[in-house]
Amino acid sequence: MHKQKVCTYKVLLHPRRSLIYFDYMKNLDRRNFLKTAAVGAASLALGSRPVKAADKTLSEDRIGILIDTTVCAGCRHCEWACRTAHGLPAGDLESYSDNSVFKYYRRPDNSSLTVVNEFENEKNPMLPVYVKSQCMHCEKPACVSACIVGALTKNEDGSVTWNDDKCIGCRYCMVACQFQVPTYEWHKSIDPHIMKCDLCSERRSKGLLPACVEICPNEALLFGKRSDILKAAKNKIKRKPGTYIDHIYGEHEIGGTTVMYISGKKFDDLKMPQLGTATAPGISEAIQHGIFAYFVPPVTLFALLGTVMWITKFGKSGTAGCTKENEKLQTENKNETSSG
Amino acid sequence: MKKIHFILIPLVFFGFILGKVFTPDTEDKKQISTEFSQDKASQNDAGRFHDNSLLRVTQKLNCKSCHESEYPTKDYPGLLSCPRSDMISVYHSPEEGPEFVKIDEMSDYYNGVEFSHKVHAEMSEMSGGCTGCHHYNTTGPVLNCRKCHESSRSREDVSIPDLKAAYHRQCTNCHKQWSNENGCSNQCHTPKGSDVSLVSSSVKSKTHPVLTLPAKLVWETGAKTNKIVTFFHNEHVEIFGLECKSCHNQESCIKCHTVERNIDPAKLTRRDRSIEEHHKPCANCHMGNSCQKCHRDRELSPFDHSRSGGWVLKSYHSSIACEKCHGTAMPYIRTGHKCISCHKKFSEEFDHKLAGFTFSEGHTGLECKNCHPDGDFTKTPVCTDCHDDKSFPQDLPGTRK
Amino acid sequence: MKPLPVKRNFFTFGVFILIVLALNGLAFLAIRFYSGLGAVTNLDNQTPWGLWIGVDVAAGVALAAGGFTSAALAHVFHRESYSAIVRPALLTAMLGYTFVAFAVCIDIGRFYYIWHPLLMWNGNSALFEVGICVMIYMTVLYIEFLPIVTERFIGKVNLPGVLAAFNKPVEALLKLLDRGLGKTMFVFVIAGVVLSTLHQSSLGTLMVIAGQKMHPLWQTPVLPLLFLLSAIAVGFPMIIFESLFASKSFRLKPEVSLLSNLGGMTIPLLGMYLAFKLGDMFIRETFVYVLRFDYTAWMFIAETFLPLTAFAVLLSGKRSHTQGYLLLASSLVIAGILLNRFNNFITAYRPFYDTVTYVPSVGEVSVTIGCIALLILIYRLIVIYFPVISHEKN
Repeated sequence: MHKQKVCTYKVLLHPRRSLIYFDYMKNLDRRNFLKTAAVGAASLALGSRPVKAADKTLSEDRIGILIDTTVCAGCRHCEWACRTAHGLPAGDLESYSDNSVFKYYRRPDNSSLTVVNEFENEKNPMLPVYVKSQCMHCEKPACVSACIVGALTKNEDGSVTWNDDKCIGCRYCMVACQFQVPTYEWHKSIDPHIMKCDLCSERRSKGLLPACVEICPNEALLFGKRSDILKAAKNKIKRKPGTYIDHIYGEHEIGGTTVMYISGKKFDDLKMPQLGTATAPGISEAIQHGIFAYFVPPVTLFALLGTVMWITKFGKSGTAGCTKENEKLQTENKNETSSG
Repeated sequence: MKKIHFILIPLVFFGFILGKVFTPDTEDKKQISTEFSQDKASQNDAGRFHDNSLLRVTQKLNCKSCHESEYPTKDYPGLLSCPRSDMISVYHSPEEGPEFVKIDEMSDYYNGVEFSHKVHAEMSEMSGGCTGCHHYNTTGPVLNCRKCHESSRSREDVSIPDLKAAYHRQCTNCHKQWSNENGCSNQCHTPKGSDVSLVSSSVKSKTHPVLTLPAKLVWETGAKTNKIVTFFHNEHVEIFGLECKSCHNQESCIKCHTVERNIDPAKLTRRDRSIEEHHKPCANCHMGNSCQKCHRDRELSPFDHSRSGGWVLKSYHSSIACEKCHGTAMPYIRTGHKCISCHKKFSEEFDHKLAGFTFSEGHTGLECKNCHPDGDFTKTPVCTDCHDDKSFPQDLPGTRK
Repeated sequence: MKPLPVKRNFFTFGVFILIVLALNGLAFLAIRFYSGLGAVTNLDNQTPWGLWIGVDVAAGVALAAGGFTSAALAHVFHRESYSAIVRPALLTAMLGYTFVAFAVCIDIGRFYYIWHPLLMWNGNSALFEVGICVMIYMTVLYIEFLPIVTERFIGKVNLPGVLAAFNKPVEALLKLLDRGLGKTMFVFVIAGVVLSTLHQSSLGTLMVIAGQKMHPLWQTPVLPLLFLLSAIAVGFPMIIFESLFASKSFRLKPEVSLLSNLGGMTIPLLGMYLAFKLGDMFIRETFVYVLRFDYTAWMFIAETFLPLTAFAVLLSGKRSHTQGYLLLASSLVIAGILLNRFNNFITAYRPFYDTVTYVPSVGEVSVTIGCIALLILIYRLIVIYFPVISHEKN
């Protein structure tokens, strides 16, 4: 029932979206996708093959964080705490009261893994809406699927962490991420890091809460089990229908995320990308596994080409000379085709 | 006078029990140390505080206030969402509460926070009352935040914010504007060890001017025709019995005050509002009405039952409450103009002696409609159906009492 | 006609210019390796991939497709008459892939960990597949090139000074190698074709995961197929272009009849690519974006119409004898595919939080041009010293 509500909400929203992103949605519309998939299916053997699930099964007790944008007061203490916890230059906590940073929209970068942005509140200009951005820790993360060496891991507890020892700095994770979260140390030539929120794995291993969760004066960040957090979010919306719109951002977006948002304003207006419910690596992995499927397609192709090679050679054996090689080829190819 | 005993004895008993149940334990008392102004009068006010709250318990509680079913069990309590806001019928005036409250329970980085309670209580008078902050407080003494809000952030049930969040949310609900001059340590918190008071002296004796309820509001719209809109505020409150909050919900100071900091706050400004915003409060009830209901080419005259209802309220009817006929819930029930519209059992039980005469023997067996066609008892009775030469009231179907 | 080393002077005026360009690129490269990617490129957190991936890597791989298409034609389908084109195409592919690997090395942040994918596998990653395939294919290309080296040196091993004692063992080794390779070469040839089809298509899969960040004109689940078809289509035009260009440069007689036959074979391949590309556009109804005629639309129109024009030119029949038409058609196809790769990786990539539109920096362009210049120089060097191009001895 809830899902249905989300859908109607989307329908309501569409006409008001900026044209290009509306179009993007239309493009990724399921029906259109299926249509196109049909074209590719013949060559890629898509769809018939089950898509491999994520390597690790997620824990039932995995983490969830709910960011209540109606509660956040924009004090930016989370930015300070995050920097401090990750050993980045943080400065004085009092200096974070400076609201001039809100003049421009900011994204997390290698100097701050989380940032808070201000949005206008039409109902009351004295009470702006603040939105914290950081890694969403997707349930089916595109970055983990994309990483060439598996340097990014979706952990059992739900967090997505980066492995310094593996990363080669190719930045494909940044290309893959729908929220544009991973950032890169552009001005380092040796040992540049991919920087993103790691849900304070170090702090949590010591039994502490993530730094941002702990410092938030308003507990705008609700930290707990994902299932509990979702329940709490639904309750909040049910109890205050005037305050919240009926949408938990991240409950279903690209297969669900660890960090979720509730808001009184449409998420488009808070610069949150409108994403479908299909997982981000879904299509890509389907194609990938379609092409590779236990190495059957490549080996088949190899055998096929070998056969062609043999047939054509056989057809011209009289003129081509080099009969010795020809014989060898024939036997080899026989082996090849029978094994293939 | 005797009746007073019957009310007072149970009330005192009830109050005693409530007092036992809700008296904060000693630890809680420490948490909010209240600071009163020096004069004795306000201390007396604080003394009155508890008594008043007990005397004003008026709401009716039954199982169905909280449970879905008539017979809740322990396993299936079928709890409804807490009707807390409906339960509160206790009214405290701002003067009853403390003038200042010092919140120093959670002070790890800073000194305790001085909170100007009275000024805020006065402001809340205009926007939802005490419950804006003291939510979940049904009856009895004001509960300590700590009663429900745990002090630890890592806890089992995160649906209720922790204590730190509970405090901060109360303030940041309205105070959301940060700047270098207006950060944590300049607004509420002083660093540990410092003895600077952040509550300015101007706040200490500040009161909001008393608000007077408007009787009638008239607007002129930009339309070419029907440009006058009249709104009778007094009628909506007095006659139609609307509560303030049914229209004035989700409002804040900026309803009247300008948002610019450098403009004299006493000066009131009106914000430009969209057409939807203008219509929203009215549309809650008047959704089905035509535009003409409010938009006219002249000011409307006050409510008149004969004009609005098409029926003059005569004799006894003019003194009864509206809900006698139109029901208690909004929107009011439309009733017809006939007597039986309200007097449902009129025909069977009516003692015709009340009309001034008793029927003669020949008339007792007749049905009402024989003389009062169409069930309309306001018209002159018809005699000509049986008698060619008789007419009411010259001739009576009986003897005058 | 036999493949023979081209007896020409290495240094000409053109070569001098190329050396200058290469040095310029290397200078910017030095900065990149000293101060990081941010110092030379216009890349940022919103646009993590730029010209080096879009052109150097993606277009580089596509344009090196001549290697596997010609190998398939001459060796798999045994059209021996085309063997003259196999060696130059093989050399181009080998150098092309070396250039791609080099570009990857300069683009990844931790170039010294380039070997990591060999040990650390992620089967879900399209990039992993591309990386592994390119690595293996490069090895295969080098192996395929070995016979040219042995042919050059067998009977001519003449090591200087003391090393002269090793002349005989080296000679024997070369002969052994030559014989062994001659017998097993078919495995490598087929492997080369299979590996090519795999990574050419996976290169398309790369951008599928970008999801909504890709403009709908390009973002399609059949992207891998389009990449593969376009790579196959660009293989022969690349050989034609390169052959004509080399003939001109070395003042040799171009083999127009052979090349025009290749041109003829390009028609169905190109037609297939265009059919799928336009078909995809119509099925997904993305032509509405073309009808907006904004920057992205024009880029799409350009990348579609360039090969379409080439298709028309080749179909017109004049191709059979005129060198000019062949050059025109092949250039158009190459430009179209080049633009397609550029568009897929750069134009189409319009992320949600794009604060600054990415435009390649001077440094990026310099490095790309420098690398291409270096590539041409090495090609020239190898062609002069090794028997690659078939021509009449003069």
